[in-house]
Amino acid sequence: MTATVPPDPHASGDHPGPPPRPTAAAWARENLFNNRHNSVLTILLGAGLVVLVIYGARFLFVTGQWEPVRTNLTLLMMGTFPREEQWRIVVQVYLLCAAVGLLWGGLTAGSRDRARDAGVPFSRARLRDGVRRWWPVFVLLAVLLGMTRTWLPLAFVASALALGVVARRLMEALPEAGRRGAWFVAGVCALAGWQILSGTGGIAWWWGSALVAAAAVRLTRNVRTDARWQPAARLALVAGSVAVVWAIYAQLDFGGVGWDDWSGFQLNLVAAAASIVLAFPVGLLAAVGRRSQLPAVRWLSVGYIEVIRGVPLITLLFMGDLFLGFFLPTEDPLSKVTRAIAVMTLFTGAYLAEIVRGGLQAVPRGQVEAAQAIGLSAPRVLGMIVLPQALRAVIPALVGQFINLFKDSTLLSIIALTEILRIRESIHGQREFLIVGIAETLVFVAFAFWALAFTMSRESQRLERRLGVGER
Amino acid sequence: MTNTEPTNGAARPMVTLEGVDKFFGTFQALRNIDLEVARQEVVVVLGPSGSGKSTLIRCINRLEHHDRGRITVDGIELSNDVRAIRQVRRLTGMVFQQFNLFPHLTVLDNITLAPRQVRRMPRHEAEELAMQLLERVKIPEQARKYPGQLSGGQQQRVAIARSLATEPHVMMFDEPTSALDPEMIKEVLDVMQELAGTGMTMICVTHEMGFAREVASRVVFMDEGEIVEVGEPEHFFTDPTEERTKRFMEQIL
Repeated sequence: MTATVPPDPHASGDHPGPPPRPTAAAWARENLFNNRHNSVLTILLGAGLVVLVIYGARFLFVTGQWEPVRTNLTLLMMGTFPREEQWRIVVQVYLLCAAVGLLWGGLTAGSRDRARDAGVPFSRARLRDGVRRWWPVFVLLAVLLGMTRTWLPLAFVASALALGVVARRLMEALPEAGRRGAWFVAGVCALAGWQILSGTGGIAWWWGSALVAAAAVRLTRNVRTDARWQPAARLALVAGSVAVVWAIYAQLDFGGVGWDDWSGFQLNLVAAAASIVLAFPVGLLAAVGRRSQLPAVRWLSVGYIEVIRGVPLITLLFMGDLFLGFFLPTEDPLSKVTRAIAVMTLFTGAYLAEIVRGGLQAVPRGQVEAAQAIGLSAPRVLGMIVLPQALRAVIPALVGQFINLFKDSTLLSIIALTEILRIRESIHGQREFLIVGIAETLVFVAFAFWALAFTMSRESQRLERRLGVGER
Repeated sequence: MTNTEPTNGAARPMVTLEGVDKFFGTFQALRNIDLEVARQEVVVVLGPSGSGKSTLIRCINRLEHHDRGRITVDGIELSNDVRAIRQVRRLTGMVFQQFNLFPHLTVLDNITLAPRQVRRMPRHEAEELAMQLLERVKIPEQARKYPGQLSGGQQQRVAIARSLATEPHVMMFDEPTSALDPEMIKEVLDVMQELAGTGMTMICVTHEMGFAREVASRVVFMDEGEIVEVGEPEHFFTDPTEERTKRFMEQIL
């Protein structure tokens, strides 16, 4: 050791480094065959595992009759979606990929900039990491593409993914000011995709109004006005934007296929996604309402939560199907799908409320006091201090509830909606598949759900880990 | 104390408590408290645990409500009026024993939150202010970190900077060094002493006798919810009048 170099306590010498990794054989001897009982157990379980794998592989690749799935793949995925309108789905997927790519790139660039500001090294997530994280989805895609008979779907999927990657790169390359504009573009892409797919109906109108209003407020932000008039001016701006969008929508007919006419796996996906998006604010409101100082609000929240949680989802679905329409104006009755989504939203909202309430209780009292002491108003204390911490604490439970909801979308079959499970049943009504591949179609449906649910679960764990970084 | 004319502002006491009672259920936490804190005064509140010291200062920014009596801060009387409460909270800063920094926000965001949300300051202005305050508490290099990455002493100094960001007229400290490791106490006390040197009105609940002796303009001794004795620091350390004060000072010195 020379005098100029400070001694490194971690260098080899007096202080040995961490022990070397054991070889595979050493590891097996240590953990699997360390005594007689364990060795016997290892051999028995190992043999069982081998048998299971052999049987499984034989079923998948040799004896399995996948013809019913292969023949009816489009039916399973899209159900009775009009074939001449399929281009709408294609366009929507492209636009959605672009939007997701922009979103992803924006998040990456955001955390890159934050890491730079904090002087922390940042390693950008590679596409490779994406594949590792999302492999079940990619396997599902591969299975689906493997069963198609033409190259067109492959070209479609590949080009859509490529578009997403390009959009991500583009967003990352933009400076911060440019990214703000690109967020808007992402919103427009997502909206336009939905618009082209489902026409003027439903939520597209609201969504468009919100985007235009947000843009209008943003663009006029730097216009100097008398502070007294600012709220009124903003309100007028928002109202004006909504009126203009509404007028445009009233004039135009975009065609399109609303979700009332969707079926197959598409229906499962849209019903689950819509219910998740809608149930979140419902659950949030009910959770906050349950802790309200106002008795009327509190009782209403408790009543909603406890009534819904005490009744099975199937019962609620039947009730929604049979008489939800009676409570609403009859001239424009809600469709079956909309009613089902409303019921699933209310059902999930009640469970989310209880999850969020647990999170709210986990936030220390001192956080509220500190926020009050610096003069934040009650809504800001809730929105900026309490909820961010409460929600982070309950991410795994929230995602668990979302996964449940996704799987529960198969219950729509019992109110005669043609979701994937019901389509699978109808396949075995076809003459050539009456008794062919009954297990295989079920396995296929199960796998489709598993691939997405498992990925959601893994992503939630990852999100939880990431949000925990740098916290107390 | 009904005189609230602005011309009289300089002479008006910063904080006034008159006949304040506070109950937690049937337990009386504060008994008939009368206290006046003048501008630029540093008042240290001493007393055994459970004597109502924390409750006293928590009533001044309405984290607790008082049951009887009057509390005015810079001429504004505290009542159930939400506007008055928010005004008082804007005029007062508070530093807690457990720091209570917001763990999901960076140090910078912790400090800029109040200026941006309450005073509607633009972001760059608020960040400039925050950096000045961080210079003042001597940790500008920690601005982009999260509270969880800082030591206790650093966190408490950020908490002081966060309170100062609202430009309060009076600062209240609720045992600011009690949760700190011994080697970090001094860095916090130094910041507090400097703050007192700038003429900030301060009310400190603390067990740091050295700080009380050097910095306080007055010391208040409380026991069982009452103010037992008020006086100059020297008086307390050399020749307290009341029997209860004597006993307390003997125990801690």
